[in-house]
Amino acid sequence: MEAFYLIKIGEILLKLGNRREFEDRLRSQLHARLELAGIPHKVEMYPGRYFVRVPEERARDAEIILAATPGVNGYARAIKTEKTVDAVLAAAVEVARGRFGQGLRRFKAESRRSDKSFPLGSFELSARIGAVVLDALPEAKVDLHSPEFTINAEIRERAYVFADPEPGLRGLPVGSGGTGLLLLSGGIDSPVAGYLMARRGLALEACYFHAYPYTSEEAKQKVVSLARILASFTGSIRLWTVPFTEAQLRIKKEARQDLTTLMMRAGMMRVAQLLAAKIGANCIVTGESLGQVASQTAENLRFTQSYTDYPVLRPLVGMDKEDTIRLAKRIGSFDVSILPYEDCCVLFSPKHPMLKAKLGREREAYEALGLESYLVEALEKAERIDVAPEWARAPRLP
Amino acid sequence: MTTYLDWAATTPPDASALAEAAGLASECYGNPSSRHAPGAEAKARLEDARARLAAAMGAPVAGRCRLAFTGGGTEGDHIPMLAVLRSALNARRDGSIKVLRIVTTEIEHSAVYEEAHILKSLGLDVRFVEPRPDGRVAPQDVAAAVDKDTALVSVMAVNNETGAVQDLGGIAEAIGAASSALGRRAAPHFHSDMVQALGKVPLVFGSGKPGPDSAAFSAHKIRGPRGVGAFWTASPPEPLALGGGQEWALRPGTENLQGAWAFAAVAEAAGRTFEPRVEGARALERRIIEGAAAIRGALVLPEGRAPGDVRYSPFIVSVAFPGLSGEVMVRALADVGVAVSTGSACSNNSKRKGRRVLAAMGLGEELSLSAVRVSTGELSSGEDVDRFLEAAASAYGKLRT
Repeated sequence: MEAFYLIKIGEILLKLGNRREFEDRLRSQLHARLELAGIPHKVEMYPGRYFVRVPEERARDAEIILAATPGVNGYARAIKTEKTVDAVLAAAVEVARGRFGQGLRRFKAESRRSDKSFPLGSFELSARIGAVVLDALPEAKVDLHSPEFTINAEIRERAYVFADPEPGLRGLPVGSGGTGLLLLSGGIDSPVAGYLMARRGLALEACYFHAYPYTSEEAKQKVVSLARILASFTGSIRLWTVPFTEAQLRIKKEARQDLTTLMMRAGMMRVAQLLAAKIGANCIVTGESLGQVASQTAENLRFTQSYTDYPVLRPLVGMDKEDTIRLAKRIGSFDVSILPYEDCCVLFSPKHPMLKAKLGREREAYEALGLESYLVEALEKAERIDVAPEWARAPRLP
Repeated sequence: MTTYLDWAATTPPDASALAEAAGLASECYGNPSSRHAPGAEAKARLEDARARLAAAMGAPVAGRCRLAFTGGGTEGDHIPMLAVLRSALNARRDGSIKVLRIVTTEIEHSAVYEEAHILKSLGLDVRFVEPRPDGRVAPQDVAAAVDKDTALVSVMAVNNETGAVQDLGGIAEAIGAASSALGRRAAPHFHSDMVQALGKVPLVFGSGKPGPDSAAFSAHKIRGPRGVGAFWTASPPEPLALGGGQEWALRPGTENLQGAWAFAAVAEAAGRTFEPRVEGARALERRIIEGAAAIRGALVLPEGRAPGDVRYSPFIVSVAFPGLSGEVMVRALADVGVAVSTGSACSNNSKRKGRRVLAAMGLGEELSLSAVRVSTGELSSGEDVDRFLEAAASAYGKLRT
C-alpha cells in the first residue's frame, strides 16, 4: 500500500518572477528530508500542487516531515482515482468513512474542476458527493456553514479526493533566502529566532561560544540538542562551537568592569562576521529582544552591530518574552533550554553594566583590548558538528 | 592517572573483599529464608556477616537491638522516616493524617532532606534546624524544636560537605530533657545518618547511654560494594514498606549475602586500621588546610577550621575559592586529572539554589558557590594533596573572575 499526500503550497505562488526556483527548492527540500529519514518516496509536481508518495508503513514519519517543512502550507492524505464519476464518488465515500470513524458528522463537499472534459461541473459533482455520502452514512449531515469536515474533490490531470488538509508551517522553502549564521546559546530565545528565520526561507548554520571550563560539557550538549530541534525545521544544521575562554579572560582582565558584557558581545559579533564570511552566509541571526537585558538596548545593539557589515536579523526584537516562551514550547525547545546547565557567564557579568554605549568611546575601548588575535585563534579552533534532525534516525526499511 | 580526592562520594572497592564475597555467594546460593540445607547455610553465613559487622562497628545487638542489612544508606534513612508516616496514618480512623512532627536539620544529606520535604508536603509537620556558623547544630536548638507530637528527630553524624561532626550524645540528652519537660512519657525516636561517620570517627549508639536510637550506614563509603548498607536500631520502628519479613521486616526482600559479606569484611578492615587511618587523615587535613591558606584568596570553610579540630572529620575539608565557581574549579581540576567534587554528588534541589548546607551556615552565596570538597581515604597520599593544591592554585590564578 502506498500513502499518497497532496501538498498545498502558498506563498511560493506569489513569487512569479522566480517561482521555478522556489518550487525546485521546496521539491529538493522534501526529497532531501525524506531521503535522510530513510523513507522511500516520490515527489511529483503539477501546477499548483505537489504530491508525495511513500510506503504506507512510513506514512507517520512522512507526515512529521511534511508538517515541519517550511513552504508547505498544508498537506492531506488523498485518494487518487480515475477521472470517472463513479470512481470519484466511491473515493468520496471512503474519505467520509474515515472522518466518520473519528466521530465527525456534519460535512460539506467542495469540488474543483480544471479538466473541463469531466462530465460533471463542480457544483453538480459536490451535490452528487453529498448524496452518495448521505446514502452510505445515514447519520451524516450536510452543513455548508460550519461543517466538521470537508470532502474535497479535484479533477485535474487525475482525480484526487481528500478531507481537510493538516496545517503546514507555511513560509518559504529553506535556502530560498540564503544562509543565516545563527548565534545559538543555551537559552530560550535563540532557538526560537532560528526557527522563525528558517520559516522565512533561511538555511542555518549555528555558532555557539563555549567558555570551558566556565561552561560545562553538559551545556554544550544542550546546545547540540537545541540544534537538533532546529534541524527538524531546516533539514539539517551545522553547528560551530567556538572556544571563547581565552577571549573572555582577556576581556575580564583588560576591560572596565561595566563594559565586560558589551565587549564580549562585540567580540562575538566580530567572530560571527569572520565565520559568516568563511561559510558564505548572507546574514547573522540573533535572539536579541529590545530591552530584555542590558546588552540589548538600542544603543548597545548599535555598538555590537558595528562589528559586522552583515545584516543582523533579530526576529524577536519586538516580541514579548511570554510570546517567545509560547513559541519555544510549540517547537519543543523550551524544555531543553531550561535545563539547569547555566553558563557561568554570571560570574563575568558586571553588577552595573553600561546601558547606553556611546559608539565612538566604546569602540575605542574595544580597540584597546587587543582582542583580534584571540578571536582569530578561537575561530581557528572552532569545532564543526553536523547535526541531523531527530527523524534522521528513523529506522531504514530492509 | 587520576588523583582521587573524592572519597566522600565513593571509594575504590577492596577487590579481595569483593572477590571473596562473590565466591561465597556463588557457593551459598540458597535463599536464607528457605527451610533446607542450602538455605540454612546461606542463613548461617548471613548471620556471621551480621555479627562481624556489628562487632566491627561496635553496634550493640543485645535485647531489642537490631542490625539489618539494607540496600544502602538512603534506604536506611527512609526506614524511620516512613515509619512516622505509618504512625501518622494509623493514628486516625477516618484516614486523615495526624500531624506528627519530624525534627531534622538544614544540613542533612538529600536522603533525609528530600524525603523530609515530601513528608512535609504529605501533611507532616517538619522542622529544619539551622546549624551554627561552625557547621554543627546545637543540641539546644534541636531540643527547642521538639514538641509533644514529635515522632522523630533525625540528625546526621558527620556532614558530607564540611565534615562537621555532630554532637549526637549531647543532642540525645537535650531531646531527652526537653521531652521530660514537655511531660512526654518517652523521647521521640532519634535517628542518625552515619554514612560519613563509619570508619572515620567514633560512633555513638544510644543503647544504655545517650545517643541515637537508630543509624544508617553504607558499605561503599568504606571500600565495600555499592547497593548494600545497614540499619541499626535499639527500638525498631514499625516499617511502612513490607514484604517477606526479612531482616525483622525492617528491610524486606531476599537478603544480599554477597553484599553483606563484603560489607562485614571491609568494616572489619576499617576497624583494624582505624587509628593509623585517622592519623593519616589528620596529616592530610593539615596539609590541605595549610596549603589552602597559602593560596592567595582561598580559604577553608568554615573559616577558622584548624588542623586537628575534633569538631571535624579529618577526611573531609571544604575549600573555597572566592570569585571562581566550585563547579568550574571541579571541571578545571578534572581536566588535569584531579578528582574532587562540589559537595554531595547527589544533590539537585533547586529550592536553595546552589549550596544549601553552606548557605544554612550563613555563608554568602558567592562564597558557598565557590567551595569544593576535598575528601581523602586510606590510599590518599601527601603527594595527592600537593597535586590538588598545585592544580587548584594554578586554575584559580588563571580562571578567577
